[in-house]
Amino acid sequence: MTSLSDHDEQIKPVQQGATKVAPLRVLLIDDDPERANIVEVGLSENAVVHIVSHIHGRTLLDEIASIAPDVIIMDCESPDRDTIESLRMVAQSNPKPIVMFVEEEGSAQMNEAIEAGVSAYVIDGLTPKRVKPLIETAIARFKHMDSLRSELRKTKEDLAARKTIERAKGLLMQHHGMTEDQAFASMRTMSQQQGKPLKDVAESVLTIIGMLAGTTGKANTP
Amino acid sequence: MTKQQLNIGFVPLTDCVTIAAAQERGIFLANGLEVKLKRFVSWAAMRDALGTGAIDAAQMLSPMVVASAAGLGPFPREFTSAFTINLNGNAITVSTSLFERMSQIAPETITRRPMSAYALKQVIDSRRDEGRRKLVFAHVYNHSMHALELKYWLASAGISPETDIEIVVIPPSLMVDALASGQIDGYCVGEPWNNKAVVAGIGRTVITSGEIWSNGPEKVLAVRKAWAEENEAVHLALVSAMLEASAWVDDMDNRLTAAQIVSGPDYVNVPFDEIVGSLTGKNRQTGGELRMDMPDFNVFHRYAANFPWRSHAKWVLSQMIRWGDLPDSLDVDFVAAQAFLPDVYRKAAGAMGVACPSADEKVEGGHQHTWLLTDATAPLAMGCDQFMDGRIFDPSNLDGYLAGFSVRHVESRLGESDRQQVSSIAV
Repeated sequence: MTSLSDHDEQIKPVQQGATKVAPLRVLLIDDDPERANIVEVGLSENAVVHIVSHIHGRTLLDEIASIAPDVIIMDCESPDRDTIESLRMVAQSNPKPIVMFVEEEGSAQMNEAIEAGVSAYVIDGLTPKRVKPLIETAIARFKHMDSLRSELRKTKEDLAARKTIERAKGLLMQHHGMTEDQAFASMRTMSQQQGKPLKDVAESVLTIIGMLAGTTGKANTP
Repeated sequence: MTKQQLNIGFVPLTDCVTIAAAQERGIFLANGLEVKLKRFVSWAAMRDALGTGAIDAAQMLSPMVVASAAGLGPFPREFTSAFTINLNGNAITVSTSLFERMSQIAPETITRRPMSAYALKQVIDSRRDEGRRKLVFAHVYNHSMHALELKYWLASAGISPETDIEIVVIPPSLMVDALASGQIDGYCVGEPWNNKAVVAGIGRTVITSGEIWSNGPEKVLAVRKAWAEENEAVHLALVSAMLEASAWVDDMDNRLTAAQIVSGPDYVNVPFDEIVGSLTGKNRQTGGELRMDMPDFNVFHRYAANFPWRSHAKWVLSQMIRWGDLPDSLDVDFVAAQAFLPDVYRKAAGAMGVACPSADEKVEGGHQHTWLLTDATAPLAMGCDQFMDGRIFDPSNLDGYLAGFSVRHVESRLGESDRQQVSSIAV
C-alpha cells in the first residue's frame, strides 16, 4: 500500500489560485451525503473530490491507492480509521494529511491531538465557504508537524547509525586485530558489494561477531 | 461524600463486559467513582481520546500500551496500565472455501488440535505455483494481540506474514462481510465475530488465541502515566472496582447475566444468542470443530488474570522486535516497567485481600496444565501458559528467544550472502 505517490508539492500553489496548477486531489470518506455535498461544493473550484461511502477494508485501500489523494477527509468516529491508520504506518516515509470531522464539543482536546501530530481535525458544522480555509489550515498544520517529526526522526536515525558503525568498527578491531581504517574499509566494501547502507552492514557485523563470540547478537545501547 | 467523576472508553466487544458490569451493577459507584462510558468504534479514535484527556481510562489492546511505552505512535511513553482486563478471547477464522481446500490438501493436519498452519502453507505454495493471487488475511489493528497471534500462527508453519500473504486492517464489525464478499480469506478477531461467520456458514474457525498462547494478555485498562501519578487514589479506586467486577464476571454462575448486560444496546448491541457462547465457553468452535466446551475461552479473573505481568509486556515487545516494529537494541526491561505497573495492582489488590504474585515476571510456556504459584502473598491457582509450538519464553533472555525464530521481519533477517560476507572478515 505504499503506492501513494508524492503530490505534496502540489498543495501549496492551490492557495494562490494559479492557473496551471494541478488541482488538489481529495478523497472524502463519508457515509453522510449532506456533509459530503458541502465539502464537494466548498472545494469544487480548487480540488477534485472523490467521494467514497460504504466501502471498507481492502476495497477502501485499493481505492486510495488508485486515487492517490493529496489529502483524506473522514469522520473522526468512522470505523475505517484503523484501516487508514495501518496505511499510514506502512507509508511512514510519506504520510498523507488526514482531516477529520469532529463534533464541536471537545475541540480543545482535538487541538492537542493536532499538536501531538495525530492528524488534522476540523470541527463539524460546515458551510461550503468554510470548507476550503479549514482544510487548508488543517493541511498546513499537518505539514508543519510532519516536517518537525521527520526532522527529529532523521536526526535520531543518523545518530543511531553512527553509533552502530562505531561499535561494529570497535568489534572488528578488537576481535580481528584490524586497524580503524581497515575495519571501516572492509565494511564500506561490503556495503558497496551488497548495495546496502553502511549501517545495515554494521548491524550484520555486530550480529555475526556476537554469535561467534557466543554472546547474543543484541547491540546493547548504553 | 462527593464522587470522583471519570470518563472511560470502551469498544463494543465481548471483553468490555467487565467495564459494563462495573457500571451496571453499581461497582464503580460503590468505589466512589461516578463513571461516564464512551463507546468507540476505532482503536485510533479511543487512543486519541485517552491521549488528549477526553477520557481518563480505556479498555485498550495490550500491545497499544506497550507500543506507547516503547515510544511508538502519536502518544509516545504516555500510556501505562496496572490492570489486565482479560486473557485469551480471539480466534482465527478462514473462509469455508479456504477451509475445504486446506482439508483436501493436508487432511492429516486438519484433524489435529491445535491446528497448525501447515495445511494453509500447502495451499499458499500451490497457489503460487498456479500463479494465483496471494491470500488476504485481516486483523483489527497494527498493535494488537490479534496481529501478533495471527503472525505467530502463520510463521510457526513457515509462512511469512510479510511476503507469502497480504495483511489488511479491518474493523471487527465489518470482518464477516469482508469474508462473505471474498475481499479477504481469513481473519483474527475477538468475539462475537468468529462465531457469527461460522453460524452463517461463511467461515470455519481454525484456532483460538488460547491455543496459540495460553492465557496471553488481551485487553488492559490503560491510563495516562501522568494522570496515574497525579491521581493515585482515584487510580487505585478504579483498579479496585475493576477487580471486583472481574471477580463477578469470572464466576461461571454469573456469565449468563454478564452476557445479558454486554449484549445490550449501550454495549455490544447484538442478540444475546450471538455473544453468550464467548462468555460461557460453550459451543465454541476451533480446529474445524463446531461444538467445543472451552471454559477458558475468556479468562477475566482466575489465574491471577488481572495482574499486569511484565513478562507479558516483554513477550509483546519480543514479537514487535521480531516483526520489525522496534529495533533489537530496545531496552526491554525499561519499556516493560513503563508499560505495566504491578506495584499499583498489588496496592489495590492487597487492600482487598486478593492474593498477588510476588514477582513481576514469570517464564512463559512451561506449563501445559494448571499449576500452583507459591511465590505469592497466598498460593495462587494459575492457568497453563504454553505456546502452540512448545517454545519457552524466558523474559531475561529475549535475544536467545528471538534467535530461535527463522521466520522474521525480512530486513532484520540475515541472508546467506550476509553470513558469508561477514564471516569472511571474521575469519
